[in-house]
Amino acid sequence: MRTLPVQPVLAALALLGLLGFGWLAVAPNRLVSGTALSSFAALHFWVAAVALLLVAAVPISPRRPALACAALLAALGVALWASGAAAPPLLEGMPPAARVMAGPGFWLFLLTLLLMLTEAARPAAALRRTMPLVLLAMLAALWFGGALDALSLAVEYRARAPQLQDALLRHMLLSAAALALALVLFVPLGWWGFRASRAEAVLGTTLGLVQVVPALALFGALMPLLGALLRAVPGLREAGLETIGATPALIATALYAGLPLWRGIVVGLGAAPRDLVEAAEGMGMTSRRIDWELRVPLGLPIFLASLRVATVQCIGLMTLGGLVGAGGLGAIVFEGMAQFATDLILLGALPVILLALFVDGVLRLVEGRLARWRQ
Amino acid sequence: MSRPALLPLGLGLLLALLASGGAASLLWPEARVMDTPRLLSLAGSHARLAVIGAGIGIVLGVALGLLVTRSLGAPWRRPVDSLAAAAQAVPPMVAVALALPGFGFGAAPTVIALVLYGLMPVLRGTIGAVEAVPRAALDAALAIGLTPAQILRQVEWPLVWPLLLPALRSAVTLAMATAAVGALAGAATLGTPIVIGLQMQNEAMLFQGAAATAALAFLADGAMLLAAGFQSRGALPDRR
Repeated sequence: MRTLPVQPVLAALALLGLLGFGWLAVAPNRLVSGTALSSFAALHFWVAAVALLLVAAVPISPRRPALACAALLAALGVALWASGAAAPPLLEGMPPAARVMAGPGFWLFLLTLLLMLTEAARPAAALRRTMPLVLLAMLAALWFGGALDALSLAVEYRARAPQLQDALLRHMLLSAAALALALVLFVPLGWWGFRASRAEAVLGTTLGLVQVVPALALFGALMPLLGALLRAVPGLREAGLETIGATPALIATALYAGLPLWRGIVVGLGAAPRDLVEAAEGMGMTSRRIDWELRVPLGLPIFLASLRVATVQCIGLMTLGGLVGAGGLGAIVFEGMAQFATDLILLGALPVILLALFVDGVLRLVEGRLARWRQ
Repeated sequence: MSRPALLPLGLGLLLALLASGGAASLLWPEARVMDTPRLLSLAGSHARLAVIGAGIGIVLGVALGLLVTRSLGAPWRRPVDSLAAAAQAVPPMVAVALALPGFGFGAAPTVIALVLYGLMPVLRGTIGAVEAVPRAALDAALAIGLTPAQILRQVEWPLVWPLLLPALRSAVTLAMATAAVGALAGAATLGTPIVIGLQMQNEAMLFQGAAATAALAFLADGAMLLAAGFQSRGALPDRR
């Protein structure tokens, strides 16, 4: 049977990025896209080293996963380091506002290489755990060692570092607050929905309808609605509610996170096998004990999975908080979009994605641990 | 059907009425409001963008889903799965923002974000549906000497496509909702009055845009529930 193997195709894509598109771009300032530079012009003979490492990783990938990972990490490291080293000579004689940016080829190469790394590490369980750590350590060494300092993303970061760190912290706090609000509101409702089937039908329909409302519309609508509410009940304003800022962002995000949490509670509580519950009842256990000793422990994996989905949603949705004045990473993205400044957009967007992926990974790890511990 | 189509349809009509220029000028007598014809034309281009984006995403998603479930594409199952999981971590707004520098202001970043958003759930849905085809049906088809292409066309596809409908429905609903975000990248959608309202601190337009966007999403959802109801009446067992 003929099959289409993964690594050679991905390697061809990565080579296309390396050789086929602009690798770097030199621009007179941060707002224009600049003139493209091929990888040959930017990296000189280092292109050959990167290409060789990349191609060499393909045939050894199935049998020697660790060696393939090492080759791919080396290709990535050399490509990043050589790009960083190429920037200062390119900027010589240019005005101080000039920047060296990563081009489309660079991004295609980076994305496909990350996929290849995941794929190369897949056969060995130990490698799946260590490879991301080694990758992170290598990226941290390149970043903090100053190898990438002359690239535009790092320049933009240095100009904005305090603002960005504040935005990241605020984004995390807002997401956590929205998740907490959703938990306080919807966990009891989930419990109620499990007990009363009428409540389940009504709540399920309502929360399903909320999911249909576009996020932009809900964030937008909450401002005039909160305005009307605060005009009608001025006491709420003294309690800290506001029409602009964190209030609409928290409410909207919590409402969206409600459905996965609520459904997780209802389904999780119902996960205990019927005969087990009947046996417990037959033994004379009270329904309170059945809940705490049977339903909750057996539903735990489902609770955790729904918590993970809701958390990832909160992190992503909070980006729209930037639109209603709540701040966070979304505000950085919007500022970048308004200025059409690619680097600023990336500085806002990449942390959102990485934060979501990180939280997702950590919670998956917890779920896996729990599953193994139960066996 | 898990919930009746009448509820979203009714809510959609109600919100559409509230969003209209007449209702908004009653609610906000002193504010500048967007007139109904302009809203309707924005709704038209909103729906067009959503259908184009979702359409491309659906076609690509089904095609890739069928490919990775053939023996030819079998090694791609896992990487596609992890890619789909990673794509879920990119919020629609961030996808639009990331596509903006490469494709400029206008419809393109929105369509790209919509394709990405439609592609992943449809791809996963297709893989799930193909895997739900009973082994016995495939063995029987092999035994009577059908070629792989014939098996796909005559055995797998008729069993697969009814299971795909929920994924297609959610892809279109999602696209209807996500297209609003395109207004931030300069696409003419129902998000446009929201963005104008935010910039000009005009609560009336903010409300109009929000109500109209929600109305369109509800109407689309209701219409598809209705269509699914007609299609599945008696033909399919209730799967829940």
